[in-house]
Amino acid sequence: MIDGPDLAGSDTLGDGDCVTLIFPARGDLVVLARLVASAISTRVGFDIEELEDLRLAVGELCLLALQGSDARHGDLRLEFTVSPASLDIACTLAGAAPARGAPNADGPAADELSEQILAALVDEHGRERQDGLVRAWLRKRRKGPLA
Amino acid sequence: MTARGHDAPAHLPAATDESPERPSLSDAARDAMITDNLGLAHQLARRFLHRGEPLEDLVQVASVALVKSVDRFDPERGVDFAAFATRTIIGELKRHFRDKGWAVRASRRVQELYLELGHATSTLVQQLGRSPTVAELAQMTGSSEEAVLEAIEAGQGYRAASIDASENEDDPLSARMGERDARFDAVEERALLAPALARLPAREQAILRMRFVQGLTQSEIAVSIGVSQMHVSRLLAASLQELRQHIGSDSDDEPAD
Repeated sequence: MIDGPDLAGSDTLGDGDCVTLIFPARGDLVVLARLVASAISTRVGFDIEELEDLRLAVGELCLLALQGSDARHGDLRLEFTVSPASLDIACTLAGAAPARGAPNADGPAADELSEQILAALVDEHGRERQDGLVRAWLRKRRKGPLA
Repeated sequence: MTARGHDAPAHLPAATDESPERPSLSDAARDAMITDNLGLAHQLARRFLHRGEPLEDLVQVASVALVKSVDRFDPERGVDFAAFATRTIIGELKRHFRDKGWAVRASRRVQELYLELGHATSTLVQQLGRSPTVAELAQMTGSSEEAVLEAIEAGQGYRAASIDASENEDDPLSARMGERDARFDAVEERALLAPALARLPAREQAILRMRFVQGLTQSEIAVSIGVSQMHVSRLLAASLQELRQHIGSDSDDEPAD
């Protein structure tokens, strides 16, 4: 499900525009997050290299949000928010319970790698826990004024 | 909560700064650092798959970048080596694509793929007898499904511009599309009228021309053809009635040719 402005009828996204993407938390559907990230990056005015950075980064964001959770019945919710200075993306896992027992085999090491990749690709990023679930976010600064 | 800020992550200034005062590692320590982090280089290389470069090449680029990281790393700067190496390796992988002109090819590749998809779709429709799936298009064009979706999305961008979209608010595209030209109606009517007119006797045709083409009055026509004005009036009325009947029956029927 995609809520937000009509992308087909507009060439740009401006200050305060917010696009929300919600999809079942499955690895094969992370492609949706990358495609939406591409579409929004283009409309925000990022160049092709920044666009590729964001495509990589949004995948890592999804991985981070999934860490430590039983995502079998959950949905990933991504919010893309445009401000004059940056594009902010937040990812949360909704409707999933925290994982029981042993942590995911990809656990801490995978977390660390994703964080390191984000550090190399975006200007700011972070993670916070809400009710036992992770909210991961990133910020990519825009070079120029609003398109 | 954790949050990290970086001033210029894409340019990786720290990774390119050589510090002459950096303490040198022993060969054994250096080899150990490289060996211990080869897995990291491999993992990062995998993140750049599906861009037209074989994994082995990407692993090679990442491994060379890892060696550079080890040689440039300065523990006294207080930076974690894995973080430093990750930034260096990603920077080198990005530079690898950039040096190969990938940034230019990326957009061209999408456009070319979009065109290629058009041909592939036609071919597959003929072969399969139905519209192909994205998976089938991906297989035929040798692309990933994501690349196909991306090309389709990009294709919509330059194919489906809104009729109200415009570079200039004062000059929307719709304002440049024109309106129905009344002369088209006249041409259409003339095309209908001509065969009906041809069915009338020569004198009635002449009267109609004088009245409606030359603009003569009924009295002037009467003088011209040597009859009374009342007779011209009756002839005009009868001719127009006949024309209406012919045109009505023609337009009710399917065109003969």
